[in-house]
Amino acid sequence: MGSLFRSEEMALCQLFLQSESAYTCVSELGELGLVQFRDLNPDVNAFQRKFVNEVRRCDEMERKLRYLEREIRKDGIPVLDTGENPEAPMPREMIDLEVKFEKLENELKEVNSNAEALKRNYLELTELKHILKKTQVFFDEREGSLESGGQTSLTQNLLPEDSKGPIQLGFVAGVILRERIPAFERMLWRACRGNVFLRQAEMDDPLEDPATGEQVYKSVFIIFFQGDQLKMRVKKICEGFRATMYPCPEAPADRREMAMGVKTRLDDLNTVLSQTQDHRHRVLVSAARNIRAWMMKVWKIKSIYHTLNMFNLDVIQNGLIAECWIPVANWEDVQLALRRGTEKSGSLPAILNRLSTLEAPPTFHRTNKFTKAFQNLIDSYGVATYREINPAPFTIITFPFLFAIMFGDVGHGIIMALFGGWMVWREKPLSAKKTDNEIWNIFFGGRYIILLMGLFSMYTGLIYNDVFSKSINLFGSSWHGAYNDSTIQQNKELTLDPADVKQYDQYPYPFGLDPMWQLSNNKINFYNSYKMKISIIFGIVHMLFGVILSVWNHKFFNKAMNIYCEFIPQIIFLTCLFVYLVLLVFHKWVWYGAGGDVSTSPSCAPSILITFINM
Amino acid sequence: MTQLINIVSHIKTSPESCYATSGRMLDSLFNIDNGYLEGLVRGFKNGILKETDYLNLVQCETLDDLKLHLQSTDYGHFLANEASPIQVSVIDDKLRDKLVAEFQHMRNHAVEPLATFLDYITYGYMIDNIVLLITGALHQRPISELMPKCHPLGTFEQIEAINVASTSSELYNAVLVDTPLADFFGECVSEQDLDELNIEIIRNTLYKAYLESFYSYCKSLGGITAEVMCEILAFEADRRAFIITLNSFGTELTNEDRKKLYPQCGKLYPDGLAALARADDAENVKQVAEFYTEYRALFEGAGSNPGEKTLEDKFFEHEVKLNVNSFLHQFHFGVFYAYLKLKEQECRNIVWIAECIAQKHRAKIDNYIHIL
Repeated sequence: MGSLFRSEEMALCQLFLQSESAYTCVSELGELGLVQFRDLNPDVNAFQRKFVNEVRRCDEMERKLRYLEREIRKDGIPVLDTGENPEAPMPREMIDLEVKFEKLENELKEVNSNAEALKRNYLELTELKHILKKTQVFFDEREGSLESGGQTSLTQNLLPEDSKGPIQLGFVAGVILRERIPAFERMLWRACRGNVFLRQAEMDDPLEDPATGEQVYKSVFIIFFQGDQLKMRVKKICEGFRATMYPCPEAPADRREMAMGVKTRLDDLNTVLSQTQDHRHRVLVSAARNIRAWMMKVWKIKSIYHTLNMFNLDVIQNGLIAECWIPVANWEDVQLALRRGTEKSGSLPAILNRLSTLEAPPTFHRTNKFTKAFQNLIDSYGVATYREINPAPFTIITFPFLFAIMFGDVGHGIIMALFGGWMVWREKPLSAKKTDNEIWNIFFGGRYIILLMGLFSMYTGLIYNDVFSKSINLFGSSWHGAYNDSTIQQNKELTLDPADVKQYDQYPYPFGLDPMWQLSNNKINFYNSYKMKISIIFGIVHMLFGVILSVWNHKFFNKAMNIYCEFIPQIIFLTCLFVYLVLLVFHKWVWYGAGGDVSTSPSCAPSILITFINM
Repeated sequence: MTQLINIVSHIKTSPESCYATSGRMLDSLFNIDNGYLEGLVRGFKNGILKETDYLNLVQCETLDDLKLHLQSTDYGHFLANEASPIQVSVIDDKLRDKLVAEFQHMRNHAVEPLATFLDYITYGYMIDNIVLLITGALHQRPISELMPKCHPLGTFEQIEAINVASTSSELYNAVLVDTPLADFFGECVSEQDLDELNIEIIRNTLYKAYLESFYSYCKSLGGITAEVMCEILAFEADRRAFIITLNSFGTELTNEDRKKLYPQCGKLYPDGLAALARADDAENVKQVAEFYTEYRALFEGAGSNPGEKTLEDKFFEHEVKLNVNSFLHQFHFGVFYAYLKLKEQECRNIVWIAECIAQKHRAKIDNYIHIL
């Protein structure tokens, strides 16, 4: 029978590898993907194994690559994934890779720190520009008081009535996050006992925070106070709330000059900043081209060293001993792979010995992309034991069919089949996308199952005569309404009698259920009874089939006793109960019906439930 | 009949009123608000390192081995993105970050009264942070250097403005009055300048007020929470009393002042505290402990000779035992407090082992406190 019918025959082998060729041989075997190694050092700690240093170096490289990937994703550069499968590089090339990654990481770190310093500068200048603009308003009001002494102004009101002329108030101007203003005000009031005056104005545009890169809203404030002590206190509080203070000249002419200076500096900074960003972008784009391939290479190196850690060191002959399971059918392929590996490293050939063991070998099913989904479905209930019959090939048909019996709608079945068909048709581009969305991955992994489920659902939908919950009349209904108009108008409900030739052509609808049932009141009663009985019949047939399959298992494992003690009692039990039930169902369908004797009329048909359980 | 009506009128159905009447919530109603968080904290507790993990850790030769072994525990790849020669301070920070993230998650999902309970736990860290910042300010350190050393669970909005205060009344009026610590400040307000000795007295006074407030809050919650938490907090209070007494010998702290610092919510109140206030040396302290069975056992085996455990270690062990025992009860808030304290002890253990490895001084590497 085909290879999916039973699990493959496996052989336990011992592998002698020379130290020089160990790496390349494991690399070749890894590409082949048909060997399962056993861990010969189970009680050795993870950090006492032989190749733990190389694994650590791989971890370091992975960390650097992850950092690069994060930066690439931050800039929104698409990562090119050609789907290529680079081979694991030699150990000497590993050093080249390490050097390359180190250089890239350092370069990127340098560019980032430069950009951050520049951005900080830019932020300061922008804040200064805003301060100069907003404080203009504050000082205008103050100067207004000096010129026209009689008008009320802010500062005039601040000072006591009998003060000697305009007293010079000191001030600090600065910028603070908008969220902190209420607490800031409160703290100022409390600490200075109400002897300072705060004015603030919000900045309309958000600024970019250099450390995190996110946009934050800030406000400009200016604090007026009198005396040096208050000045110290105000400065400390500003520091405490992370408000940045800027020197703001009093005279308007100075302010205007400063504003122009700031503008020119801002322009210069802008050019430098954009150049830095360009440079960083270029570095990242060139890294993005290769990053997938690099990641794959590092993963391959790491897995090779993890595998090598499982080997035993043979000091006498300076080699490594490994134990592995391989399918007997692939013996030649493994030999070829080993030969390729030893040729690459140019040393003595590796020796592959078959061992005999009483241990249970692992179960291996050879699947392709179509059967893999069904095999996974079966394995989720429990992996079959070694060389047992594999339920998967039967599941390819029975699973979608039993699903369809429950689903049973042509319209929805078409949609499902189209969805599955689209996924199968666009397999290659969709699988290359590599999304993290779990739900999509589940659907895509089961695309063949969904396609088959849709197709079978269309079939059962036709049998149930159900298209989006409506019936279609393809062949002409077998029921006819043979009442005259007056009867129809006087009665709300009328019954059609199948015994009457005028009301029922004595042959049924050719395929599926009659569309007349859609209009009837007892549609649910009829459908339910029918579907339940169908389900029982199919279910019991399915179960019987499974039990009969076990005979092949018993014969294969030469356990004749199981046939007598397991199989025969199972069959007797199943048959006496459930096959009897099925027979009752068929008998009732065939024997009892309309037309004919009273004893076989529907009113005398016995209940299967009562007959079965006799209660 | 009227009796029946009376009984019926006493039956309340909403959880809040279940608190109000008897101060004790029916166990079956606990899960409505707190079931998810209790399940979460028990899951976290299962990830606490066991004896086998510690045995593996002490066998590590380098810090990289330590990192490799921690990868297979609940910590996972928390050190994965650190550059290769790892330092102990980095490990310490990352351990604390993980714990803080877990606590913040639980606090964000908590409703009353668990939210207040978790907030109470953070007040202790706030007190430590405040004292740290003031001490740093006294030594003229800039605030930006001190902020990273603060514990993340104890931050509040006005914390960075602490250095504006030079006396304790200023500290209260300007900074602390809006924080939850305002209630604990009662007795410490004075016009004296903040200096080294004062700071310690302020810290201990604040902590005493905080412990007593926490104790009475737990008692008001009633039920198993009160049972478990009051036991733990009573031990904490007594432990502080002993430590303050032992540390104050030979300093300027007078007996009268010392007496004011003892928290009164422990088993030593009132007689033990009075006796401790009169004590003049370590012998007297040990005699006071003789009257209490658990404390006698703790003082018994302690000493500063090599090979014996120090008194602090014994206190830690007793605290760990009380915390582990709190997980034997269900439907109470003590598990959150206990989990936080156990995780902190675990962080201290790991850092101790890491230091011994880093300095290649493995003689005392086994002196960590065994948790599970």
